[in-house]
Amino acid sequence: MLNLLTRAIMMSTPLLLGALAEVYAERTGMMICAIEGIFLIGAWGGFVGAYLSGSLALGLLAAVAAGIAMALVYAFVTVTLRQQQVVTGTALNILAVGVCAFFQRVLFGVPTTPLQIDTLPKLPVPLLSRIPLLGEIFFQQNILTYLAYILIPISIFVLYKTSLGLTIRSTGENPVAVDVAGINVNRVRFLTVLAAGGFGGLAGSFYTVGYLGMFTTSIIGGRGWIAFAICFLGNWSPKGAVLGTLAFGLADAISVYFRTGTTVFPTELIIALPYILTIVLTIFRSNFQVPAKLGVPYSKEN
Amino acid sequence: MRKKVNVLLYNTGAVAVGLLISACLLLFMDVNPAEVCAQTLSKIVTDKYNLGEVLVKATPLIFTSLAFAFTYKANLFNIGAQGQFLMGSIVAVSLSLTLQDTVPTALLLLLVLVGSFAAGAAVGGLIGAAKAKFSANEFLVSMMSTYVVTNFMDYLLRTSLQETKAEYMQTDAISAGAYLPNILPGTRVHLGFLLAVAAAVLVWVLLSKTSLGFQIRAVGRNPFSAELGGIRASRIYIIAFLISGGLAGLAGLTEINGVQHMLLRDFNASIGSYGIGIAILANGNPIGCIFASILFGFLNIMGTTMGRLPGLSIPASIIELIEGIVMICVIISYALRGYMENRSEKQRMRKAGV
Repeated sequence: MLNLLTRAIMMSTPLLLGALAEVYAERTGMMICAIEGIFLIGAWGGFVGAYLSGSLALGLLAAVAAGIAMALVYAFVTVTLRQQQVVTGTALNILAVGVCAFFQRVLFGVPTTPLQIDTLPKLPVPLLSRIPLLGEIFFQQNILTYLAYILIPISIFVLYKTSLGLTIRSTGENPVAVDVAGINVNRVRFLTVLAAGGFGGLAGSFYTVGYLGMFTTSIIGGRGWIAFAICFLGNWSPKGAVLGTLAFGLADAISVYFRTGTTVFPTELIIALPYILTIVLTIFRSNFQVPAKLGVPYSKEN
Repeated sequence: MRKKVNVLLYNTGAVAVGLLISACLLLFMDVNPAEVCAQTLSKIVTDKYNLGEVLVKATPLIFTSLAFAFTYKANLFNIGAQGQFLMGSIVAVSLSLTLQDTVPTALLLLLVLVGSFAAGAAVGGLIGAAKAKFSANEFLVSMMSTYVVTNFMDYLLRTSLQETKAEYMQTDAISAGAYLPNILPGTRVHLGFLLAVAAAVLVWVLLSKTSLGFQIRAVGRNPFSAELGGIRASRIYIIAFLISGGLAGLAGLTEINGVQHMLLRDFNASIGSYGIGIAILANGNPIGCIFASILFGFLNIMGTTMGRLPGLSIPASIIELIEGIVMICVIISYALRGYMENRSEKQRMRKAGV
């Protein structure tokens, strides 16, 4: 049981990073539909960076860079060229698979044994990790999980208490007003997407650098889309994202747990549960506060 | 008309540029792109079987791209074609396995046709209803539905639908009496391809020549003014999703009864997302979907053929690379076309002295 909860917190980490990135971007009116691809390229970037340099820190850095690179293409097409976000995202998600698989082959050929890297070590926090129960669940994790903890209050503070946060929220609600105030709407969106790409890449690297130590193109398996869904479920707020993340993280941990044991229980139901939950909540939650201009490109002419 | 020619021109250009970029990427593999492409092309063109495979691969893509294009016309996003296709496949394989030795082939195929359409339509209809009754975000619901259906399928493959040997997570093979008839000897091209083409033509007629099609397009343009014009938008949402889901479901018939003859895990895992790309490439035009699907089918075969070239070790997943690049190029070309058309419009106005 304890093991399960520790695992749930661990599996929540990348989802939280991705969901917070998505919340910020969507608050400016930009859905990041390429999030699955950004996760994947981050996972790959982290793996390659760590494998070639031998340093996990450089791996994480490479993951951030890879995520930003992908977000750059996405932002250019959707913000600058004002094209459909859903469609561009789909294209980039496919492209990400191709890029990773192709350049994996270019770099490493067909290795006889699967390539492995070390994973981020568990860092027990002094004192805190010795709290009975909670210590083991929350404070014997790797550095990315601690980063996620720190990001929760920071993201709430920045979004609601700073002028930057106000600009971000206004850009999604009323871009004309932002424009009139002398702020470049498209620049705000562009930069937010880039930042979200960086965090998305970092989130992806959790699966390679932080957890499995190897790379396959199916390593993300739809978890980028879960981060996307959590953003909706959490009503576009960081707090909501945290709650949604815990639900999905727990389900993810349970499904991994059941896969290792043999049961007659329909494990598929547990794997599908978060998705079913998303559908049910999307349908029955009436007080959604969708950013007014979500998915709508901005141009001065109209 | 001029606009249509323009679209075609820009799209062809974009595809060509995309292919060129992809070819250049082959340089990373230390091979001569021109040589590899020529070798691959000659392998495909000279081999009737390979040429047939292009159409075989294109068949389900026509259905999934039509599925996306159909709701796209109503300004709705059905990105759950994958799930609707899998539901169609589940029904197709179940019907085939239960009825294959008792019912004559023609009748069986007809039943599977209706069944797989209904299965896909049921999933799609639920999404449409969620949109119509609860104004739920159809994009999110349709995306999540794919995962739910996939897990449902995995469950069935492990339990009631599992093969008699109970070794792998797959069904028994259906018997030859349930196969879609082959239409080109020496290849695997089956009747499903003609069905797909017929479906595309029907969708085109429905969208552009009937009053239902007009209502769908009107709702897509502006649901509020459509309501003012006496069209009930919520009804259109449901109908559009029913038909869209049904179209995706039909791909289950062509893949189960035409190609694979059994259902297994990760069944055609990416035809749903390719469908979106193809529909965009075709600018949402149903007839265009046929040709764009054939192009993607061709790219697909090109990828696998390249992957099999001896001594080069090009990964078969180069197909995703090529398709992704081509799609991005096409999307960028839309922006370029919009910009150019805008500019020539302005010039014309300036000349007219406005």
